[in-house]
Amino acid sequence: MQILVCVKRVPDTADAEVVLQPDGSGIKEEDLAFGINEWDNYAVEEAILLKEAHGGTVTVATLGSSESEDVLRRCLAMGADEAVRVDDASFGDADPYVVARGMAAVVAKGAYDLVLTGALSGDHGFGMVGPVLAGYLGRPHATLVTSVVPDGSHVRVTRELEGGLEETLRLELPAVLTIQTGINEPRYVSIMGIRKVRAKEIPILDAAALGLAPADIGAQAKRIVHRGLSAPPAGRSAEMLKGTPAEIARKILDILRERGGMA
Amino acid sequence: MPKLLIVVEHRRGTVKDTTFELVTLARQLADTSGLEPAAAVVGHQVGAIADTLARYVPRVVVVDAEPLAHFRYETHAAVLRDILEAEAPFLTLAPHTAFGMELFPRLSVESGRPCATDCIGVEVEGPELSVVRSVYSGKIRSRATLAPAAGYLATVRSGSYPVASEAGGAGAVEQRPCPAFPTPLRTEHLGYREEEATAVDVSQAPLIVAVGRGIKDADNIPQAQALADRLGAVLACSRPVVDKKWLEKERQVGTSGRTVKPKAYLALGISGAFQHMAGIKGSGVLIAVNKDPKAPIFGAADYGVVEDMFKIMDALKAEAGA
Repeated sequence: MQILVCVKRVPDTADAEVVLQPDGSGIKEEDLAFGINEWDNYAVEEAILLKEAHGGTVTVATLGSSESEDVLRRCLAMGADEAVRVDDASFGDADPYVVARGMAAVVAKGAYDLVLTGALSGDHGFGMVGPVLAGYLGRPHATLVTSVVPDGSHVRVTRELEGGLEETLRLELPAVLTIQTGINEPRYVSIMGIRKVRAKEIPILDAAALGLAPADIGAQAKRIVHRGLSAPPAGRSAEMLKGTPAEIARKILDILRERGGMA
Repeated sequence: MPKLLIVVEHRRGTVKDTTFELVTLARQLADTSGLEPAAAVVGHQVGAIADTLARYVPRVVVVDAEPLAHFRYETHAAVLRDILEAEAPFLTLAPHTAFGMELFPRLSVESGRPCATDCIGVEVEGPELSVVRSVYSGKIRSRATLAPAAGYLATVRSGSYPVASEAGGAGAVEQRPCPAFPTPLRTEHLGYREEEATAVDVSQAPLIVAVGRGIKDADNIPQAQALADRLGAVLACSRPVVDKKWLEKERQVGTSGRTVKPKAYLALGISGAFQHMAGIKGSGVLIAVNKDPKAPIFGAADYGVVEDMFKIMDALKAEAGA
């Protein structure tokens, strides 16, 4: 099975303080750690597991500047066979439609049975690239996938619904799947592993190489126009408990006894 | 008058609250921007669902056919393309759930209408659609507009608008024929899989200690379990802990896990992603401990502590007595 995985480099904001640029055009990136989007990491692992079980190849692709190369090398160290980086100034500040156009052009250059990507990204989190890409390609898709089992000319997948409920679908190949976190346990990548793939060539594809015109990917191709960022409005704010950890613990225990019915 | 169409999410005969939240948004946009709300019910044997919706909106468009018995983007998108062509709504809404996420981006491509997903606010600005979204782990708000088009699509995050009440009176229910599907169909629904019943039931627990990403490592779970035991609480967690297989899925609280309603919920190292917060809406007092003062959970908690969760866990164990 020939598999393409679309990945993205994103800042880790789950555990970090996020600071806005004064003009609201973006966030300050200096103090943030960047890495592979968490959902994409599960997608890469799933592709490698499928290759290990059924044979084939895994190619990873991203749209981004040379800063994204570390993310691709990490995927190679995990066990991907090839990596490609799509990079062209005309992509600009790509929205999900433009990213999907770029990835569709990469798909068209190969013979992929399966295209995987994360169900969403940890930065803007539209969750659109996968199904929009499938729409451009005219291929079946499934989002929020929690298991993938090849079935001849088809693939059986489960999708996560709500409240612990899942549904099972059968899709004709070639297909596009977006992968939900928790589907597998992504393997650890060692420094040694990354060193081993240091010399691996990562081709860079520009718009011309992909046969894309500015009208396909430039500002006029965007469907979602970014208007700026702001701090969330201060909602109902919590009463902050202060003091030493012991003092705070005593206050918490008082609350749990009074209002939580703790013995 | 320009139209607003709500695509109703239903499964196995039930309509979830998310659809009635969209009714609230639709009524707001009817007041502010003169949009005329309607609902689309697509499925099989959905008469009762259509009647229910008719108590909320003035018009309900129904497509009822056997192949639509279980939602698939492929058949639903074909039906909705047909409805969008006939109705030409200015705005079409769906909940941002496994249903809306599967359907709307694809429908966007197939209908040529731009789409914004996971919106927490939707406004009409003249001929344009403006949306507000929560980005970067819920720590930042983003505003965007959709490229000018005759019609727009948007999916809306659950809990962004209150659940609407009935309008009083019955709206019109109009049947539409089912259009031809693309042949051959390339997706097939095989069935549902329920989570198996398990020993731990966090949904009934009166006192919950919950841990999130801040627990950092599987080796730290026993500490949290010991604290829960000491306090007489049930140990629960947020999604990242289950994704990493550090705790069982049955302990996961949130939209994809369990909904809980304890008297008190002590959240340790949980940032407060909306999926998690949706699962604890019915809780009594919420105490949150997180080292990031800007963690979104502090916007919903009754009491907050900005501190390393491990220091607080140790102090709680010491102060609770042996």
